[in-house]
Amino acid sequence: MILINIDSLSTTELQYIAQQEGLENWQTLEREELIDELEETYGEQDDEITASWLKSKGGRKRFCNALTDFRGNKQDVNGLPGVEDLPDVYAETSIHLLMRDPVWAYAYWSLSPATKIQVFGEDEQLGGSLFLRVFSLDLLTYEEKTFDIAVGVEDTQWNINLPAMGNSYKVTLCYKNKKGLEMALAESSEVSSYPSYWVNHYEEMAMDSKLFNIHFSSLVTKEGEIVDNAVLQEIAQTLSGGVL
Amino acid sequence: MSKKSVAFVLNIHLPYVRHLEYPRFLEEDWLFEAISESYLPMLRMLYKLRADKVAYKLTVSLSPPILCMLTDPALQNRFNSYLELHRELGEKELVRCRTEQPEFLEMAEYYLEQLKQNLTDFNDLYRCNILEGFKSLETSGHLELITTAATHAYLPLYKEYPTAINAQVELAVQSFLTTFGHVPKGFWLPECGYYPGLEETLKYHGITWFQVASQSMLLSPEKVNFGDYRPVRCPNGVAAFPRDYQATSLVWSNTSGYPCDRNYREFYRDIGYDLPMEYIGEYIHQPEVRVFTGFKYWAITGPTDQKQPYDRSLAQSKVAEHAKNFLYNLEMKGDVLSASMGEDPLYTLCFDAELFGHWWFEGVDWLDQVLRLSSREEEQVTLVTPSLFLATENDLQVVRPAFSSWGQGGYSSVWLDGSNAWIYRHIHKSIERMEELAVRFSDQISLKQRFLNQAAREVLLSMASDWPFILYNKTSSEYAQKRLTDHLRNFNVVYGNMCKNAVNTEWLVKAEKRDIIFPDIDYNIFNPQR
Repeated sequence: MILINIDSLSTTELQYIAQQEGLENWQTLEREELIDELEETYGEQDDEITASWLKSKGGRKRFCNALTDFRGNKQDVNGLPGVEDLPDVYAETSIHLLMRDPVWAYAYWSLSPATKIQVFGEDEQLGGSLFLRVFSLDLLTYEEKTFDIAVGVEDTQWNINLPAMGNSYKVTLCYKNKKGLEMALAESSEVSSYPSYWVNHYEEMAMDSKLFNIHFSSLVTKEGEIVDNAVLQEIAQTLSGGVL
Repeated sequence: MSKKSVAFVLNIHLPYVRHLEYPRFLEEDWLFEAISESYLPMLRMLYKLRADKVAYKLTVSLSPPILCMLTDPALQNRFNSYLELHRELGEKELVRCRTEQPEFLEMAEYYLEQLKQNLTDFNDLYRCNILEGFKSLETSGHLELITTAATHAYLPLYKEYPTAINAQVELAVQSFLTTFGHVPKGFWLPECGYYPGLEETLKYHGITWFQVASQSMLLSPEKVNFGDYRPVRCPNGVAAFPRDYQATSLVWSNTSGYPCDRNYREFYRDIGYDLPMEYIGEYIHQPEVRVFTGFKYWAITGPTDQKQPYDRSLAQSKVAEHAKNFLYNLEMKGDVLSASMGEDPLYTLCFDAELFGHWWFEGVDWLDQVLRLSSREEEQVTLVTPSLFLATENDLQVVRPAFSSWGQGGYSSVWLDGSNAWIYRHIHKSIERMEELAVRFSDQISLKQRFLNQAAREVLLSMASDWPFILYNKTSSEYAQKRLTDHLRNFNVVYGNMCKNAVNTEWLVKAEKRDIIFPDIDYNIFNPQR
């Protein structure tokens, strides 16, 4: 659900949104009450995105030809014969690792019924536990490190914090039995995160205002707002002594 | 005189939406609004500039779904109906405004005139196929036309699947070749999504350049000499053009960009919401779902509901002011940069095309002014296309951009967060299974070939960046979720049947009739052994 430029909308528009949202007494509420109610509704429904939209009081979004998300498409659009629901997970043992940004990766996995029986027993009587083992390889020194993340039997996904840039990472889905014996069940492919050249060469740019201008003048708006990127902002803060 | 080069790159893309099973479908209006409010007015403006002998250069990316939808006779007919319906509303608005709101009459007349002109252009000038307009402008040397991924997939999240990446590029190039008769030189990376190594697939298919996000240069592990003001060459020779975030923000920013000027037209105040149901009912979505109609009479004014009536002449004077200010900013900035760099900068400015006209009502007029002004001899700014720039610049730094996108956070977090991460388990599995099918049943003919081709279409359509984007932004999430799961479930029909060596012909016939995209697709494209 979206909420755009709420202060700019007419009372009629607000009433329509309130009606769509199922607010009681939407016909009798005053304008300010409508805004308060809607902000509360959206605040409860969701999350930082809606909140940031409200805060920015603006949005230029694609695919928006109405003020509210039309929820009437319950009918089976595109329904074709012989189609079945998607499974929650697939009957195979595998793990995948996707890089979201240099600091976070997303892992999802599944366990086949055969693997489940193999490690936990027919009625899960063997017990034991699952964990993720994250391998990190420093691409400069080739030093390898690992760390483990305990996960539940029912878990199928995890966001993994990547401790350092300049490393490649892979993750193994592992099982540990009650005696402490470990077994790797599936291994992901590798992802790599490379540090910016400037992270290790601040001084070059700090000493050269032309260089600073060439690199940063395209990344900062005329109001001084820098591109939304954590690494970039860190470099900018270091270089500018916190000005940017 | 020193000349600063400017490369405008506009991306024309919308997800493939076609629901002939309904007399009118809400999400089809995405296309119709874009044609009516952006593409046709923009083509009119570009034709006029050409007629006026303005030597402008512009780059336009046309996605394969857009190529397909714009040449689909069924959607062309439905667009005509859309225009007719809105023309009827326009006539009705003239009557209403004359008696009830005379302060809006001028704009009502303007909207009606635009709709009539759109009908004439669409039917008489372009014979219902507006791609002819883009072709003509390319032939006359004013446009460089390029392509983008087959279904506008956000490619970094498919890095693990080179076959799927290749399919997205190869089909895009094929689709472009079929439409325009030549291979494109440029490739719009969807959402500016780049990962190191992607250029190998692009080069294999004859692509010589692509655009990247602004921060991709500063974040590169190698030292980039000229930041975002010169393209770089990847080690394999393909050039990357970094977007200038600052210059783009002058236009794009939704808090401080030109479109936020108080005199410009307010997008969110529309008679689709403001007028009584008995008046507007026929012109919105059934049953009584209020939507935008395009008839908007208020100026932005400020963060208040007490809007001023829109004054077009006032807005036009702002357009002229903003166009001059834009070029002034580029010139001033360019002078400093030229001194620092020892050579003149190139600004690469990338936008979604729908910003101009649809979102920013005055945007087409602003672009007109910028193109006119920058073509004057005395201006310090000159327009180029990336291919033209590359033709004269051999001495580019060899360096690889960093993993990046133009989305929030600068990486993949828009297309991979709590709202949409679940999709990758299913899409990746479909890709793996499609590869498996292509190996197990290679070079089939007749019914099985058609069945497998349809499976390939379903996989590709599920990969569109639009679905996770919509789920993230929550603008039309129910529809996005439905489309995604339907494509994946449809794929599973083929997979399940082929594993039993069967073909569900009833499903196939209906699916082929529904999705006419990529009519020449060959599912063997997913065979990793090829």
